[in-house]
Amino acid sequence: MSYYPEPTNIWESIEYSSLGTTIAESTWMFPTIETLHVIALVTVIGTIALVDLRLVGVKGHALRVSQLAKDTLPWTWGAFGLAALTGGLLFISKASSYMINPYFLWKMGLMALAGLNMLYFHLTTWRTVEHWELDPSFPGMAKLAGWLSLIFWLGVVFCGRLIGFTLGIYY
Amino acid sequence: MGDLLFSITEWLRSTPLNEFALAMSESPLTLWMVTQFWAIPILQIVHILSIAASFAAVLMMNLRIFNLAGHATLAETAQRYTKVLWWSLAVVILSGVLMLFGDTVRNLLNSIFWIKMALVVFGIVVALAFTKGMRRRVATTGEVVGGGTKATAVFLVILWCVIMACGRWIAYAPA
Repeated sequence: MSYYPEPTNIWESIEYSSLGTTIAESTWMFPTIETLHVIALVTVIGTIALVDLRLVGVKGHALRVSQLAKDTLPWTWGAFGLAALTGGLLFISKASSYMINPYFLWKMGLMALAGLNMLYFHLTTWRTVEHWELDPSFPGMAKLAGWLSLIFWLGVVFCGRLIGFTLGIYY
Repeated sequence: MGDLLFSITEWLRSTPLNEFALAMSESPLTLWMVTQFWAIPILQIVHILSIAASFAAVLMMNLRIFNLAGHATLAETAQRYTKVLWWSLAVVILSGVLMLFGDTVRNLLNSIFWIKMALVVFGIVVALAFTKGMRRRVATTGEVVGGGTKATAVFLVILWCVIMACGRWIAYAPA
């Protein structure tokens, strides 16, 4: 016997699914998934920032940027997978509230921009990294990609935190 | 578990901490912060970003110790990320203290908050011993890492995760 109203759109269908209602009704599931989401996103942001800061010119060590990227990126991707999975579960439990929350929509948009920035950079300037990584100053496009990545991810964290203050106030 | 945490919070309320928390919540800084909508969110964002930096530093030292990020020498890695770790921890603590002024009673009379504080102090002591040990080991044995250092490295990552979990659960503590 379901106590939920008949869904009127796809987001309500997701929210009223058995997985969605199980997470929403549990006292411990949402905070636990949220905790894993925090640990995952902190790892994503921290490891990406190490590479971004190197790209924009923060040196502080002898490591080549291609080596630094090789060291960090597998962990960035692993943590991103966990963040996406846990984020997806959080979303399912309150899908219709998230979909009308502007900070959630901005967060998704900023992540898309961060992804496009990364994709473009990897398909262009990064291809010749061996040629310029020993230069005293990196190409402008590499610096730009680093700055954009830092700004987009800062925006993602900003919006993500703001969701926690605004979820449920939009109708 | 919930009952235990609740009784710790109940006990905290019976101590002088209760009056202290109420007095602190009337401090000029708190009174100013509660009128600023953006104060707490901005501090939380700074807190999260500096946690990201410190966690990444601990993680990278770990990966190097286990030869999973093997491009820099151990000495270089230790030196670079120790600096990142301490500077970011300073920002973590500063933003945390300011957040405490912004939301005094909810934190000071909260069982999970005090568990987190105990773990933070413990974590800093372990991290100090760990980074010092790593530097000494690099100086004496070069690139060889002992089992104790490896175990401490893993322990630090787990401890950092537990501290982050406590941070998230302060908001959900039974009160």
